[in-house]
Amino acid sequence: MGFAPLTQRIVSFIEGSMKQIEDQTHYEILEVSHDATVKEIQQAYEHAKETFHSDSLAIYSLFSEEEMRKIQVSVEEAYRVLMDEALRRNYDQSYSHLLQRSSREKQTEKLAHSSEIKGSLSFTDLSLEIGEMPYRGKSLKQIREKLGIDLKAISTETKINIKTLEWIEEENLDCLPAPVYLKGFLKAYARVLNLDSQKLIEGYLQLFEERKKK
Amino acid sequence: MTGDHHQRVIWAIGGGKGGSGKSFITTNIGICLSRLGARVILIDADLGGANLHTFLGVLPSAPSLSDFIKKRVSHLQDVLIPTGVPNLQLLTGAQDLLNAADAKSVQKKKILRSIKSLESDYILVDLGGGNTLSVLDFFLMSDGGILVVTPEPTSIENTYRFLKSAFYRRVRQAVSSSSVKGLIDEALDGKNEAGIRTPFELLREVRRISEDDAQKIVKEADAFHPNLILNQARSKKDIEIGFSIRSACQKYFGIHLHYLGYIVYDQDVGNSIRKRKPLVLENYRSKAAQCVVEIASRLANSHRMHQRSN
Repeated sequence: MGFAPLTQRIVSFIEGSMKQIEDQTHYEILEVSHDATVKEIQQAYEHAKETFHSDSLAIYSLFSEEEMRKIQVSVEEAYRVLMDEALRRNYDQSYSHLLQRSSREKQTEKLAHSSEIKGSLSFTDLSLEIGEMPYRGKSLKQIREKLGIDLKAISTETKINIKTLEWIEEENLDCLPAPVYLKGFLKAYARVLNLDSQKLIEGYLQLFEERKKK
Repeated sequence: MTGDHHQRVIWAIGGGKGGSGKSFITTNIGICLSRLGARVILIDADLGGANLHTFLGVLPSAPSLSDFIKKRVSHLQDVLIPTGVPNLQLLTGAQDLLNAADAKSVQKKKILRSIKSLESDYILVDLGGGNTLSVLDFFLMSDGGILVVTPEPTSIENTYRFLKSAFYRRVRQAVSSSSVKGLIDEALDGKNEAGIRTPFELLREVRRISEDDAQKIVKEADAFHPNLILNQARSKKDIEIGFSIRSACQKYFGIHLHYLGYIVYDQDVGNSIRKRKPLVLENYRSKAAQCVVEIASRLANSHRMHQRSN
């Protein structure tokens, strides 16, 4: 069950660069190597649970509640995937393909072009050109369907009401909550599909701007 | 890289708060390194209360850096105080230098250059718990900055405050656009209008202005490897906090913090300070001394890895 991310942003594999949670691989989230054993993953998971816990002394004063939740969700997801042999293999497959590409790019272009790399999502199994297309409700739906994920699964994962998700896809601006709340929903949705949440939010909020102008 | 084949390594010990053990650690690590056969200079730059001399049992009336600044002494070498420990010398009065109000920037740079050219293998600077720009600059210009934290919320909070200031100061110096610099200044204020609360949010905002500067920030974050010593560990759980802080820095700043080691809580530490005899000389077999020895040997082995990137 569930779905291992089929897509991953190449920029995630440029080692060492500043990566926000959303951009880190499952391995980076748990701070383990790619060939980590089940035992190592278990230990790393326990360490992460201990560290990113609301009563944890080590993170005192550093993270907001929202950031903590985001980390906790990522840790759980990384653990779920990496501890399941099939899911991990699946994840590694998409991953290793991109890894080779990124290390080659890294050697030749170093970080100089990472802005370009960052802009291009690579769908390994699907030939979907996203680069030029703004993320809107319809494109979200399209990507979701291509990945074969139903709305219910998104709802379970994001804990967002199915109705709201439908409105997002339909771009039903009248029913959608205020942008402040909508942002959070879009971010969560983007994360499940492994899309650039920032881009999605920007693209989506433009809808509101456009409507104002009319 | 300098053409200089004499490798001089400067470690700056700072951050946290008063009482976390920076002076104790500076003194005892310095002694350990000198015992390994290296020439070591300790610099007391604690604005709050310079007292490395007390840790070493040296009289405070000896010459200090201000004699050099006021040109009463013409060579910096001449204000170094012998400590009774072979290979180990002490420079006091450096807090005056960090007191930005007194020293003009040009003069400050000149003195820093003199310090950097002192004949030594290791220079350990005790920065105290201060957070001023001069302290941050000294921390950042060293070959390796070392933070000392105790397993208490107050100490941890101050450590993160210091790290944030140091991080933003470092990236601010690297970027070129003045609007990006302005943004970084804003980011330092947690309640800024731009809504920037984390380094990642800053990076995102900077990207909108200048991709070039965004790349510079990423590069600076990659090259920023502060070190951490956890002091007064009373349990295994306390020791784990060091690893957790490392993980937290990775997730919050996207930087790699190097956990140098921990020092167990030990009654012998207090006893040695009261006697004004450094622990590693007075009670080498004590648990805390053994921890210090281990950290010092790690420093001696790893300093090449922590060279400044510029």
